[in-house]
Amino acid sequence: MKRTIETIPMVDASIHAHMSPLDRLQLAALAGLMVIGTLFVYSATAANPAVADLPWFDQSWFKQIVWYALGVGAGAVVCAMDYHVLARWSVVAYWAAIFFLVVVLVPGLGTVRFGARRWIDLGPFQFQPSEFAKLAFILALANFLSRPSDELRSPAAFWKGIGLLLLPFTLILKEPDLGSALVLLPTGLVMMFVAGTPKRYLLKLAGVVGVLAALFLADVLFAPPGWWQIPVESYQRDRLLVYFGRDYTDFAPPNATPADLQRLRQQQLDDEYNVRQALISVGSGGLMGKGWRQGTQNRYGYLPRAVAHNDFIFSVIAEEEGFVGSVIVLTLYAVVLFTGLRIAGRARDRLGKLVAVGVVTLLFSHVFINIGMNIRIMPVTGVPLPLLSYGGSSVLGSWIAVGLMQNIHIHRKGY
Amino acid sequence: MLIFDELKKNDPQLRAVAIVLAGGLLWLLAGLWWVQVVSAREYQSHLETQSYRTIRIPAIRGKILDRKGRVLAEDRPCYDVSLYLDDLRDQFREEYARLRPVRIVTRAAPFWELWLGAPSVVTQRVRLAQSQMDALTWQARCAVAGAVAARVGQELGRPLTLNTQDFERAYEQRRALPYPIMENLDPAQMARFEERDPGNLGADLEVLSERVYPQGTTAAHVLGYLREDDSSAEGEFAFFNYRLPDYRGVVGVEAGFDKELRGRAGAAEVLVNNLGYRQSETVLVPPEPGHNVVLTLDLDLQRAAEESLARHLGADARGAIVVMDVRSGDVLAMVSSPVINPIYHSNSPAYLNDPKLRPQINRATQQNYAPGSIFKPVVALAALEAGLDPEALVDNPGYVYVGRRRIRDLAAPGQYNLRRAIIHSSNTYFVTIGLHAGAANIARVGKEFHLGERTGLPTRQETAGIFPTVNIVRRASWRPGDTANLSIGQGDIAVTPMQMAVVYAAIANGGTVLWPRLVARIEPQDPDRGGPASVFPVGVVRDRLKAPSRDLELLRDAMLAETEDPEGTGHAAAVPGLHICGKTGTAQIMNEHNQEIGRTTWFASFAPYEHPRYAVVVMVENGTFGGTTCAPIAHDVYEAILKEERAALPQTARDETHHRNDSHG
Repeated sequence: MKRTIETIPMVDASIHAHMSPLDRLQLAALAGLMVIGTLFVYSATAANPAVADLPWFDQSWFKQIVWYALGVGAGAVVCAMDYHVLARWSVVAYWAAIFFLVVVLVPGLGTVRFGARRWIDLGPFQFQPSEFAKLAFILALANFLSRPSDELRSPAAFWKGIGLLLLPFTLILKEPDLGSALVLLPTGLVMMFVAGTPKRYLLKLAGVVGVLAALFLADVLFAPPGWWQIPVESYQRDRLLVYFGRDYTDFAPPNATPADLQRLRQQQLDDEYNVRQALISVGSGGLMGKGWRQGTQNRYGYLPRAVAHNDFIFSVIAEEEGFVGSVIVLTLYAVVLFTGLRIAGRARDRLGKLVAVGVVTLLFSHVFINIGMNIRIMPVTGVPLPLLSYGGSSVLGSWIAVGLMQNIHIHRKGY
Repeated sequence: MLIFDELKKNDPQLRAVAIVLAGGLLWLLAGLWWVQVVSAREYQSHLETQSYRTIRIPAIRGKILDRKGRVLAEDRPCYDVSLYLDDLRDQFREEYARLRPVRIVTRAAPFWELWLGAPSVVTQRVRLAQSQMDALTWQARCAVAGAVAARVGQELGRPLTLNTQDFERAYEQRRALPYPIMENLDPAQMARFEERDPGNLGADLEVLSERVYPQGTTAAHVLGYLREDDSSAEGEFAFFNYRLPDYRGVVGVEAGFDKELRGRAGAAEVLVNNLGYRQSETVLVPPEPGHNVVLTLDLDLQRAAEESLARHLGADARGAIVVMDVRSGDVLAMVSSPVINPIYHSNSPAYLNDPKLRPQINRATQQNYAPGSIFKPVVALAALEAGLDPEALVDNPGYVYVGRRRIRDLAAPGQYNLRRAIIHSSNTYFVTIGLHAGAANIARVGKEFHLGERTGLPTRQETAGIFPTVNIVRRASWRPGDTANLSIGQGDIAVTPMQMAVVYAAIANGGTVLWPRLVARIEPQDPDRGGPASVFPVGVVRDRLKAPSRDLELLRDAMLAETEDPEGTGHAAAVPGLHICGKTGTAQIMNEHNQEIGRTTWFASFAPYEHPRYAVVVMVENGTFGGTTCAPIAHDVYEAILKEERAALPQTARDETHHRNDSHG
């Protein structure tokens, strides 16, 4: 702010920004993402003959626009209430979210799709409680951490914070939804770090988590058949094996017949299929891409149609718009994230700063895990790309998160 | 940057978070750079291998034409009705949905839906195992394809059923290609198919090409035949996912000029989707049509020669005729009987492998025969060179000893000079002068005619014949009996009708031994494209005889008398208006017990006497005598030649020639 006053040309804009209740730069970037999202959800589904036969109002791209509208509405509602009020209700929201996370696990109440019990069927639409649990968790943890920093030094406060994190984490992991559970970890840790939790606690925690993760991976990846193995969902284990490039045949029982080995190899190929096709999509896009709706991987169904418009939407964008398109998408996310950090920096109080940091970390985790899995930096986990992936809960959740940031911006210092 | 300004200097935690975020985004950026820019080509090639199928497209094969441009062999389009599987996918899906079992259940719907009037009884899909789904999918595909085939059959008036096993194989292996359900439509069926209601049938015409031989079996041995062979020629792409049917010549001109005729195959690539269905097709390299091969054969003469052989001896006659231009070496007709169909698979295997008929060999070039008496002019040349006085008389007692074998002389007993010996084909005379001249002289003259060597025809159906070299006859193992045998064209000698045509052409043209020419030129199918024609030179000299022209004249006079003289053995060949010089031959084929098991009969000749232009050699296996079996056939050939020559001349010149020939006779 100081620097902008010194540089004359920036004054107007700066004052204007200062006067504006909302962070317009962030909103502009979000609008850009929504345009891209609509275009590519359309591109990803238009080639599917089953979808092309539907009336336009039943097609994914239009539904996505409706979800955008609902999301913007929800964000506006969240914006309209002072976040201090929201924070006071956060404990209620947190426990409500925990309640739904338990409910979703109850057979008959939660709906099973793709082998995971993540949805609650509300008739016309399905609701994914984990999306909202993430936000309730951020509010509750921020509320908890916004107490005077002296209090955070006590181990009891630290363990309470960890407890707040582990409860939804365990429940979401149980669905199973590894991706959604994992994004809670960096979010919670970063919020505790920014709140001023002593570093030694965090380092110890990181150390313990690291050792546990290493042991877990070692067991999954290298334990020979017959050893005790951590009970994980078989598809999750397969994804990890694929990601770390392990051969399935190494896990065959010693008396496996050649046919069994062949079946394992085929299964490995099948399991690798999504990742391989996503990588081919992204790579074959090259620098400039093949043009909107011209991506052959997408159009001719190599990229599985079930995931092309949601978890693997980035592959479609990268194939059709190339590296240039990827850079545009990354830039838009960078704008959203850094304006979010700017909001955190300008926040009136610790509560606002923590909420903003939590939201930014949550969005970043989604972006990093999702794009990372498209280029094999990360293993495949069902994490949506905020605002680009098709999906109501994700869009609503993202916009409520944005609403929280804008809310903090409205009530920032000196305004 | 504006958005970084607000990060408070005194807030290290927030700055650390910003740095981690920036690092993460840069990591993604670097990863994307690596995948999309650095390794883009690698992924592009992955994409191609999984989504493109290459197809080898054979070129249109060149035509084979006679010397006047009449078509002997050509490619013509033929039409199949084929299923385009990619167009049937919707129908496959619908059929699957129809076949899929459902059950009707009472639904436990949420209460609000029931209030809103949602039905409480619904049909629900039955859960199927993967194997059941596969079987059902397959059933749906067969049902759809079978229905289309039945409809096409109904419209074209030929009942069609789908061979499901074949269809399954094609579906698994050649899914990106059309699947033919009805091949080789006739024009009426074509018209019907074109006129039908052009709905989305999923089947359409597919154009292929087939080799046709419009002249039937005419010149079949010269043309040769093709075999299906779609492998890549040299300099082509070696790898293709699919290859359309292509052919390669096995023998004959189809084989000898296969490279020129077949052109260059092209390549297309088909973009397929994840299920292997065709999405689009791009021609990468268009095929280059093959060149036409223009033969020296004269279709009229060829046909006339074939007909005369068949007329005299029937279709099963085992014989050969060669007609050659003695000035240029051009082969005007080359007949081998019995004939085969150039569409190889339409010959029955029993016929092809008949041990007696052996229709596959080209008897004009591919089989060794004893020349018998038609070799005598060569012996005469050797003797004359060795100092024989042509007027010197040799007494013929009516038989002659060849070694210890006494053979009959068919010429009447009496005194013979060279001329008379040729006219009556006296064995005694030629054994005498042959022994006098010596085998070395005969071998040397035979070498000048290049007997025992291939004539270099590009048909891959040539034998070299047998002829003793000078070295062989000088060995101790060579006996005077062998020389006597050789002098009457038997024993250690074997020739082909083509070789004898070359010999008689040389005697006719004054001593020039020519390379026979079967192919006149190779020219592009489209004269405006494909570069200039390559012409094979006319009258390429292989050798010149050392014999003085006086000796050759002597032979020509004697041979003229053999056909002109009513007592001459070759009189049956005589044609009014054309002076023919000829020599008959009858070679006995003996078994190991010295019993005759067959005869090779010959008539070797050239005409007209004044300015020889044509050499005609007729050979028949198992005839009676050259004069009675072969000379009448040669007679017909000369008549055809005369007819054609007259047709080619303008009216006035025609009368003149006729008149002059008459006055001469």
